[in-house]
Amino acid sequence: MMSMEMVERYIFAVMQKLPQSQRKDIAIELRGLIEDMLEDRSGKNHYTESDIEEVLLELGRPKELADKYRNTKKYLIGPELFDSYLYILKVILAVVGISIGVGFAIQVVINPVNILDHFVDMIVSAVTALPMAFGWTTFGFAMGELMGNVKKEDLQWEKEEWKPTNLPPIPVEHSRVKRGEAVTSIIFYAFFIVLFSFSSDYLGVWVFHDGFNGVVPFLNEQNYGTYLVFIILILGIGILNECLKLAFGKWSYKLVLYTTVSNTLSMAIILFMVTATDFWNPTFMSDLVEVNVLTAGSEGYDTVNWIWSRVTFWTIVILILSLVWNGIDGFLKARKNK
Amino acid sequence: MKDAHEHLDKLMQELRRGTITIGVLSQLSEPQYGYSLVTMLGENGLHVEPGTLYPLLRRLEKQGLLESKWDTNEARPRKYYLLSKTGKEVYDLLVVEWKSIVTSLNHVIEDKGDDVDGDG
Repeated sequence: MMSMEMVERYIFAVMQKLPQSQRKDIAIELRGLIEDMLEDRSGKNHYTESDIEEVLLELGRPKELADKYRNTKKYLIGPELFDSYLYILKVILAVVGISIGVGFAIQVVINPVNILDHFVDMIVSAVTALPMAFGWTTFGFAMGELMGNVKKEDLQWEKEEWKPTNLPPIPVEHSRVKRGEAVTSIIFYAFFIVLFSFSSDYLGVWVFHDGFNGVVPFLNEQNYGTYLVFIILILGIGILNECLKLAFGKWSYKLVLYTTVSNTLSMAIILFMVTATDFWNPTFMSDLVEVNVLTAGSEGYDTVNWIWSRVTFWTIVILILSLVWNGIDGFLKARKNK
Repeated sequence: MKDAHEHLDKLMQELRRGTITIGVLSQLSEPQYGYSLVTMLGENGLHVEPGTLYPLLRRLEKQGLLESKWDTNEARPRKYYLLSKTGKEVYDLLVVEWKSIVTSLNHVIEDKGDDVDGDG
């Protein structure tokens, strides 16, 4: 009887790994099978302990047998989800990595003396945040896999049937969006967003007398809070533009249209800000004199004053020129793709 | 040489997976229980481990190719499996496919690629 105990243990061990609903049925079947195998081996009711051991060894590890019954995956994230998982993981790691890098750059700009501390901070954030991002993303997908209710179709963006004739033409070399450029722009925009939200203190003329001793700001400090929203909005539009370029991958009329519309929008915002009289620092010239960069009445003072008084005009001119140039450039590139 | 055997094992595992199903379906125009199938297939030179066969039977039943019935009259209860109507159809089609695979493969193996007839 001791030996039948071993059979019961075996069946129990297999059942542990099976869903509740199938246990009873499979247990009866399995017990029948083991008895059949024993009988086959040694004739009716005369099996020894070593017979039982042999039979159980033939059936294999309880866990493996249960796996065969379940016929389910032995993976954290299955092939169905793996592509989407990789894609999302790359995006998330890139965003986290870039944010940490930008954070470091900003700290260095604001407080260059403690660069070593900032560097250590960056390493620490990288070591903690990157594995965390990796872990949580993986965890999310593993849960999706486990619940089994995330289907590949849910994560696919293109639902329509694929046809070889729909394959897009290979873009002409010159008209491809250069990924490096777009990514660099995004990093710069992000950098400026953080820089501006920290403070406007650093946008201006940097004064060095025996080291850094302050900035004469270009902008009117009093109204900075109001303008900050607009500035961030403009930079955000810039990031959106670059993302669009990346998504399109090549210049097309549609892309030119999108970027032109959003550029026009940003320009309208800038025009609105710049033409408002209290946008620029009203005491810019006298501030410069105060920090001994310029001497009132000198030739240099007159030149700077001349430029400063026309800054609004030239800002507008440069903006319009760059807007027009961007549009034409994009249009020409798009035309090559036709 | 050990390497070659490792490869062989893996490939044979893949090859068997499909053929066992055909073997199982072939025996189930009459009701059979799991272990009797193991014996029958074994006598015909198809060695299937019970640990593979039993889960396979359940899977085929779940897919609707087999029907099952518990027989509780005997000393121990046994689950008997039988081809369903769909199972019968699928089996007949499968046999045709299998024969064509055998013919093609024999052709390819015997010719050893000497006979080049166009792109085919």
